[in-house]
Amino acid sequence: MKRRLFVSSSLSAIALTGCGVGNALTQNQTVRTILNSAETIDYHLIGTRGMAKEYTEADISPTFRTNGFATPSSSLYIGYVEDGFASYRLVVDGLVEHKRAFSIAQLRAMPLVTQITRHDCVEGWSVIGKFRGVRLGHVLSIVKPRPEARYVIFHCMDVDDTGTPYYESLDLTQAAHPQTILALDLNDKPIDPDHGAPVRLKIPTQLGYKSAKWVNRIEVASTFSHLYSGKGGYWEDNGYNWYAGI
Amino acid sequence: MADIMGRTDLEGRIVYRHSIVARLSHWLWALSLLVLVMSGLQIFNAAPYLDASDKSDPAKRVFAIVGGSLPGGTEPVGMVYLFGHTFRTTGILGYTDDGLGGRTFRAFPGWLTLPAYQDLASGRLWHFFFAWVLVLALVAYAIEMTRRRGWRELVMRPEDFPKVIPMLLYYLRLRKEPPPHGTYNPLQKLTYNIVLFVMMPLAVVTGLALSPGVDAIANPLTVILGGRQFARLWHFVIMLLFVGYFFVHMGLVLTTGVWNNLRSMITGYYRLGKGDGVGP
Repeated sequence: MKRRLFVSSSLSAIALTGCGVGNALTQNQTVRTILNSAETIDYHLIGTRGMAKEYTEADISPTFRTNGFATPSSSLYIGYVEDGFASYRLVVDGLVEHKRAFSIAQLRAMPLVTQITRHDCVEGWSVIGKFRGVRLGHVLSIVKPRPEARYVIFHCMDVDDTGTPYYESLDLTQAAHPQTILALDLNDKPIDPDHGAPVRLKIPTQLGYKSAKWVNRIEVASTFSHLYSGKGGYWEDNGYNWYAGI
Repeated sequence: MADIMGRTDLEGRIVYRHSIVARLSHWLWALSLLVLVMSGLQIFNAAPYLDASDKSDPAKRVFAIVGGSLPGGTEPVGMVYLFGHTFRTTGILGYTDDGLGGRTFRAFPGWLTLPAYQDLASGRLWHFFFAWVLVLALVAYAIEMTRRRGWRELVMRPEDFPKVIPMLLYYLRLRKEPPPHGTYNPLQKLTYNIVLFVMMPLAVVTGLALSPGVDAIANPLTVILGGRQFARLWHFVIMLLFVGYFFVHMGLVLTTGVWNNLRSMITGYYRLGKGDGVGP
C-alpha cells in the first residue's frame, strides 16, 4: 500500500513538474520567438500560391457554422440592420490615391464573383459555403494603393467582452489573390447579421479567423504595428500566427 | 568491418553501429514526436471530435470527447463517443485536469497536453516548429544513410520475410535461437520500415493536408485522403499508431539488454547478441 502510494505520488509529481516545465517554456518569450520562426518559413514556402478548391452545390453544408464574436449590438450596427444597410458605407482609406466610401448598392454594381469554398477554422473543423462578392483586388484597383503600401487592414464592427474591436490584415499579395473577396452573399442570400452582414472578407486560402466579418473600414497601410498590440489582427494579438495558411 | 560482414558467430563483439547523425536524429525524432503528440492533443482539444465529412455534418461524426452534466444531474461527467457507443470517462477525458491544478471540461487532460492549460495558439506554435524539427531530422538521417550506404542494412529484403515469425517466437520466449540476421533482425527491419517509410510520411502528409495554404497548392493530396476532416482523422489515427509503437519500442528496449541498447544510441557502440551480425 505504502509502495503504491509512493509510486502514484511520484508519478503525479513527475506529471505536475512536466506540466510546470511545459507551461513555463510556453510563456518564455525567447522560446516563443524561436517557435515562431516556423511561421516565417511557412509564409515564404507555402504563402498564398495556388487556388483553393471550389466545390459544387451538392457539397454545401446544410448550415454554415458561425464562430468568433457575437453579432455586434452597437447602436450603429442596429441602425444599419434596421435600415437594411442603406446608410452603411464601406470606407477605404489610408495610403491610397482615391479615398472612397462605397454603399452596398455601389459594391453590388461592381463585377461579382461566386465561389463555393471550404471554410477552415483554426479549431480544426470545416464547413462549405457559397460566397458571392467583389474581388478585393478590384476594389483596390479603384482606390489605387500608393507605392509605400504593404498591408490591407480590415476594421470591423464587432467587439470582444472588453470592448476591443476585431480587426485583421493581409499583405498586398494575399489581398490581390483572385479568391480573396469582399463577400456580400452567402448561399444565394445577402449575408445575414450572424455571418458578418453586410460585408465580410472571405479568403479561402487561409484559416477562418482571417475572413473578418462586419467589415466597415479598409485601411491601406505600410505597417500594422500602430494598431492595438501591433500583431496585425485580434487573434494575432492573442498569440495566433499572422500567417494563417497552416 | 568487411572481415566480419555476414558472419553469424559474433556474439559478444562490440561494434560501432550508429553514426553520430543517426544517434542525433533518433533523439530528435523522440523529442519532436513527444512535443508533436502533446501539442497535437492540445490542438485537438479545440475541436474534440473527428468528422468523416468536410460539410461539418454531425451525422458523420465518428469520435468525440464531451463533458457536461447528465440529464437531471448536476455532477460533471466526461464521456467518449466512438462509432455510436458512449463510455463514461470522468476524470480522464471530457472532465479532467485543467493543467493548473484544478478540474474542468476539456477533452484530453492537462498532463497530456503542451502547454498543460488550454491554449490553442501556443499548442500550434509548438506543433509547427517541431514538425520542422522532425522533417529536418528525417532528411538528415536519409542523407546520412544514403552516404554511408546504410539502407541495405535496414531495408527489408525478400529473404527476411520468412524469418519474421521465428524472430517473434524468439522474442516471446517460444523459441531458443533467433534466426541469424545482419545488423537488424527481421522484426526490427519490418517495424522500422513501417515507421520510417509508412507512418512518418503519412504523419507529414496528413498534417500538410490540414493546411488551407497547402491544400490550395496540392489539392489532390487532400482529395486522396478523403477531404480535410478525413485527413484530420487519419492524422489522429497515425498519432495513435506512434503512441502504440512507443510502448512496443520501450518494452523491447527494456527487455533486450537495456544498457547495451541505451549505450548504442548514446555512444554508437553495441555488443552483438544471439543471432546478431553486421551487414544486410
